[in-house]
Order: sequence, then structure tokens, then C-alpha cells
Amino acid sequence: MEILAVKDLTFSYPRCGAPAVQDISFTLEKGEFAVLCGATGSGKSTLLRMLKRELTPLGEQSGHIFFRGNDISSLDERTSAARIGFVMQQPEQQIVTDKVWHELAFGLENLGVPRDEIARRSAEMASYFGIGEWYDKDVSELSGGQKQLLNLAAVLIMQPDILILDEPTAQLDPIAASDFITALRRLNRDMSLTMIMAEHRLEEVVPICDRLMIMENGRLTENGSPGQVISRLRGRPLLRGMPAAARLHTELESSGDCPLTVRDGRSYIEENYRCDTHSLPEESYTVPDSPALTFKDVFFRYDRYSRDVLKGLTLNVGKGEIFCILGGNGSGKTTALSSAAGLLKPYKGTIKVFGRKLKDYRNRSLYRECLALLPQDVQTTFLHNTVREELSECGADISSLPYDISHLLDKHPYDLSGGEQQLTALAKVLASKPKLLLLDEPTKGLDANTKSYMAEIIRRLKADGVTTVIVTHDVEFAAECADRCAMFFGGQIVSAGTPVDFFSRSSFYTTAVSRMTRGFFDGAVTVSQAAELCRINGKKEGSR
Amino acid sequence: MRSFSEFDPIAVTIWFFSVIGIAMFSGHPLVMSISLAGAILFFIVRNGLRHGRSHLFFLILFIVLALANPIISHNGATVLFVLNNAPVTLEALLYGINSAAMIVGVLYWFRSFTQIMTSEKVLRIAGAISPKLSLILSMSLRAVPMFAHRAKQVSDAQKAMGLYNDDNIIDDLRGRMRVFSIIATWALENGIITADSMTARGYGTGRRTQLRRFRFSSSDAAFTLVTLALLGVSAAAVASGALDFNFYPHIEADVKGAAGISGAAAYGALVLLPVIIETEVSIRWKYLQSRI
Repeated sequence: MEILAVKDLTFSYPRCGAPAVQDISFTLEKGEFAVLCGATGSGKSTLLRMLKRELTPLGEQSGHIFFRGNDISSLDERTSAARIGFVMQQPEQQIVTDKVWHELAFGLENLGVPRDEIARRSAEMASYFGIGEWYDKDVSELSGGQKQLLNLAAVLIMQPDILILDEPTAQLDPIAASDFITALRRLNRDMSLTMIMAEHRLEEVVPICDRLMIMENGRLTENGSPGQVISRLRGRPLLRGMPAAARLHTELESSGDCPLTVRDGRSYIEENYRCDTHSLPEESYTVPDSPALTFKDVFFRYDRYSRDVLKGLTLNVGKGEIFCILGGNGSGKTTALSSAAGLLKPYKGTIKVFGRKLKDYRNRSLYRECLALLPQDVQTTFLHNTVREELSECGADISSLPYDISHLLDKHPYDLSGGEQQLTALAKVLASKPKLLLLDEPTKGLDANTKSYMAEIIRRLKADGVTTVIVTHDVEFAAECADRCAMFFGGQIVSAGTPVDFFSRSSFYTTAVSRMTRGFFDGAVTVSQAAELCRINGKKEGSR
Repeated sequence: MRSFSEFDPIAVTIWFFSVIGIAMFSGHPLVMSISLAGAILFFIVRNGLRHGRSHLFFLILFIVLALANPIISHNGATVLFVLNNAPVTLEALLYGINSAAMIVGVLYWFRSFTQIMTSEKVLRIAGAISPKLSLILSMSLRAVPMFAHRAKQVSDAQKAMGLYNDDNIIDDLRGRMRVFSIIATWALENGIITADSMTARGYGTGRRTQLRRFRFSSSDAAFTLVTLALLGVSAAAVASGALDFNFYPHIEADVKGAAGISGAAAYGALVLLPVIIETEVSIRWKYLQSRI
């Protein structure tokens, strides 16, 4: 049964030349799970918002959208609100009320559903999502992942026929994101709920979706099964966001079915390639002698009676290194970074920046041409109405940046995309000419292309002699750009090493490629390393 | 089996306002003693012997208030001693103690009231008036801590970029102003998303209902009836002048007639009502526990 049909949809924003969405037609069957991807600004959000009448932006529209055979403009208000569910990107801002139970009930209260019915459905939802434990809590006590699950539950309680999701995992860490996607998959299977979702994090979503749709410059350029679509992407920048197995397959220009999961990728390599050469020649790496940042036996807790967040943290980052700190939520990574920046005061131990103790940097000399911290939420760095004012306030010179943001100067910082905000904030931070740069989750919410651009910028900064310490959840990013990686657990560093060494030793907390090639090749961590090993070894006879 | 704090918020609120109302309108020394003693007892029954600091604060406040009156007011017939050519009288001192008992007693009651009335219960009461009012309250309860948190994040971010000067007051104020103004922008920006999220979930499509987590049960009704009856008896005594009193020039604070006695007794019973409930519940619980 057809749930949604879009016919020749075109939309342009007022006072904008080119249409944001152009000539789009597609249909969604009951129970289908479609993933919509495309670069930032390709019109994904606009398209999704047009499918939900209440959120349709103002502008000129032609073409039709049919929901269960009726034009959505003819639906009555309550049907439209309840039957078409929409989950947005920001976990925090979507929440309306202060209590979890109240948020769950909110949609049904609006529809005037009787009290007993609300109580019954809330109980049902809470048990299905395991919300029972935090049902009575304040929403401010929840983690980002819990907030987003609550948003999902608060929409599902209205029993929608179709669920529209606009980058729901962009603000979540990988573990929470993966929980969220698991919940979606379960809904799709158990309830045969129809879903359409815009997403950057494709590694996990693509293998479970039925349909992959690709938007470029407002047009729907690809629409088909994931395998088919990916094989048509060879050589196009959008390929970068696809699962590692699929990237490897296209990189090696293989024919046949495109593997999507780690399991399929592994059997693809084992069946088709010889393994005479196990590993690439190792590049030796020595930690630079002069230290940029040292922690020695540092202890920190937020409150006299709480537990230690940093527990004897000892760490040494050499001058000119790119050092990535990985680790789960609440392991103390961000706390370590804030202590290094002098925002938090450890109760024991010493932190030295370029060999000098933090407290010897007086009158904020630490923040002048020495150290700078880019916080996780880069919006917190903005204080003005245009990017130009932001930059002139801190005396930033955009011609000296290793990247170009001159086209953004007259925009409001809040109107920029996630990647553009990141670059603008980085420009502000670089204005003080730091020699030690601390980045907290610089890739959160970025698409694959922006991520690799970010990695390139960090390498360019390294060439200028800047030391970078990055706290991240993003293993693929760390594998691509770090000189050394370290695992943070229980308030201290438990292991550190070069990416090849680090990721090939860990079996869960590692890149997809490393999981795919483990035991077959040694030390292949990124797609390009694995592809090179495959080429060196050559194909088996009789393989595809 | 519910303890007093788990009664319906409306019943609890009616009880608190009855107790506080009589304490504030009567002013009779006997009523004041009942109110103060009852308030302290109630606080201790609920909190045990914790919050020592609050008790100390209230004690100091009591002493200061009690001593302020005889120093300022020199009315009264019984002169105790002369201070700086001004007589200090017994009546003024007792009057001071009486008003201190009233103020401290009422403060104790409010302290317990705010402890019991969590945001959820306040919303329940607001919801009884209007579901929309309740929603607005709920949204603001969420917004305030969110903005405070955001302001801290922004000023930390500025500090770590070396942009936030706090060398002198002017610079510090200027920095704070900028943070405040961007928080306002951020709040508006946030507001748009929240508003989208509300309309997407059918806000404004018609009459709202409200999920209630409290049910006004028969025991709430019984409790409220008893409260109102006792309030009626004490209020009648106060209104009829059976609990009138005078401090100046001589102390006259007799409890007059049956109306006065029954009024004071009713107030005593009213004050002790929740303590009785708590005791009953805890005895019953001990018994039930012994059978597990």
C-alpha cells in the first residue's frame, strides 16, 4: 500500500533564485525504510519539511504530496499532526516540557485524547523504549541520546503512519546514535512503520535500509536499492559517506554485488584477494622530545563528595603532534580538555603547557599565542550578528587561515550549516595564534566530505607547527588524521599508540576496515590502506 | 496508605493555607505557640534532625525579632529596667516574642510547603485552573536552568579563547552584557525549534486535555473536609473575638468561653493532622514490614 507519493514537487524560498527542491517525484510503500542523503545544502531538510504540513517553509510551491491517496493540504489538522511524525536534529530544543512523563503525554494532550487513554499509551511507550527507569525525571537530567529517544517516543505515541527523521543522530555520540538506529530498525521490523530519514552517518543505516535516495542541488539524482545506488557513485564525492565495505569495493573497481556490512566486506576480501603480503611497510613514528602538553598524576572531581572524574591522569603530548583522545561517554575526556585549558582546577597533580605549569601563566597569558580551546558546542563561541563582526572582534585575519570562509562573512553565525559554524569558530580560535589547539568533538554533525576537509585543515595547521589535541568519538576520523591515538577510560589513559598500532590492537573500539581485515591483513585501518594491500596482493584466480 | 506529602496537591495546599491563615490573622499567644511548636514538630517529623543550619538561622531570627520590639516600643506598665533613658517593659518584650513566634512559625510552614510542593504538584494546581497556564509554567520551569547552563558554557568558551576580560568591573560587565545578549538571541532561535516541535505534535488544533498523575481520591476528600471543618471552628473563634488579646498596657490573653476553647483545640487538631497521619502510616508500615 502506498503511504506517501510525491509528484513533480518544486519549491523555492522567497527572494532566492534557484529552487531549493526541484522536480521531485517518488513514492513510499507501507513498511519501507528510505534513507535520504546528500551534501549540506542539497535540499534534504527542505524536502522533508514539505512532507509535514505544519513545518512547510514559506515560499513558492508547485506539485503535489499525497498521504494515503489524499493531498496533504486537504488533511484535517489532527490527522496531519498525529499521522505524520517528525523528529528533528536537536535533541534538546525539540523537548517542550520539563518532565519526561509530561513530554510523552504532550502530543496526546494537544489532541484532546481522554486521560485514561493517555496514561495507557504512555505506559505502553515507556515500556517499549525502556523509559520506565527515567519516567519521573526532569528532562534536564537526561543524556543527549536519552533525549532523542524521548523525542522519538513522544512522536510515536501519537501512532503515526509515517515517520520523518531529519538527521536525528547528528548531535549524538556514536554509541547513542547506534542505539537510536537500533530502535528505528526494531520499529521498522516489529511495527512495519514507514520511515524516511536524512542522515550523514551511513555506516550503520545503509545496510538496514530498503532504499537509498540521493539529493544533489535540489534534485533527486538517485533512488534505488543501496547496492545499486552505491555502485553508481564511483568517483563522486558522496561515496565518502558510504559504509567502509562499499567504499573498498568501489575503490577496487570491482563488479558484482556491493558489500554493505563488515561481514560481507570480509568475505568479499577473503574470496577475491590473495594474502601473500600481510601488511604495509610500517612507518616508524617517534614522539617529539619537547613536550607541548603534560599531565602528571592529575586528579579532579566536580564536587567534594562526588567521585573522581580524572583519576591519576598521566599524559604526554609532544610538540607538533596530532593527538586524538577516544573513549566512551562520561569517561572524563572533556573534563581533561577543560582542565588543560585552565577552566577547571584539579585538586592534585600538575598540568604543564610547553613545560610551564598552568598557574605560572598569569593574566591570561595562557590564551595569548599559546593555547586555545574549541568547545564541543561551537555556537557558544559566537556573540555577534555577522561572521564579519565575530572575526573582527578577535582580530582574526581570514587571509592567513588555511581555508576559505570569505563567502560567509555577511551571514548570521546561527544561520550557517554545522560545518560552516565549525570553520568559523575555528577561525575565531585561531585568531589568538595558538601553538596548542584543543578541539572537543570537531566532527560532530558533519557530513563525510566536511570531515575529511576538517582532517586536512588540521594537517595543514600541523605543518605550521601547531600541536592539536582532539577529543573525539569518531574512530574513522581519528584513524585518518591522528599521529597518535589514546583510549580514555575511568579517568585515565589506558593505552596509546599510532593509529595503525592502536586500532589493530583493539577489537571493538576500532574502525570498520580494521574489523573487516583482522586476521587476514595486519594493520589495515583505513579504506585506502586496505585497498592498497589488496592491490599489492592481487586477485585470486577465478575471482570476480 | 499514603504519607501526607503524597496526598493530592490541592488537599495539601488547602491544609497549608488554613494553618498559615489562622496563624497570621489570629495573633493570640496560645495560637502562636501551637503554630510554632507544630511547625517545628512537622519539619522534624519530615526531615529528622538534618538541616541544623536552618534551625540555627530560625533561632537567631527569633531572638533578633523578639528583642527588636522592646528596644523600639516603650509601651506597657511593667518596667523591667531603663536603657538610655528609655524604659524597657515586660509587655513589649512579650509582644516581641509573640510576633517573633508568628513570623518564625509561618516561615517554618512555608519551608515545609516548598519542600512538599515539587514543580509537578504546582503544575497540578495550575492545571486545575487552566491547562494552558500549566503548560506555560512547565515550559518556563525548563527554560530557566537551561539558560543558566548556556550562559556558563558561553562565558567559558569566550574565556578559553582569551576574549573575556575580567580585569576590572567595566570590562567584566561589558563581557556579561554580551553574553546576555547572545543568550537572548539563542533563546529566540531555540524558541523557533520548540514552536515547530509543538505544532508538529498538534499544539493548537483544539481543546487540550491534561494527563493527571494525581487523583483526588476519597481519602483526599475526607482529609479536606476535616481540614475545612477545623478551619471553620477556629476561624469562627477568631472572628467572634473569643481569641482576642491585648498586650498594652497589661497583658490580657484569656481564652474566652466555649468558643475560645473549642477554637484553640480545633487549631491544635488541625496543626497535628499530618503528624497524626505520618505516625499512623509509619506504624502501619512497621507492622506490614514485620510480615514480609
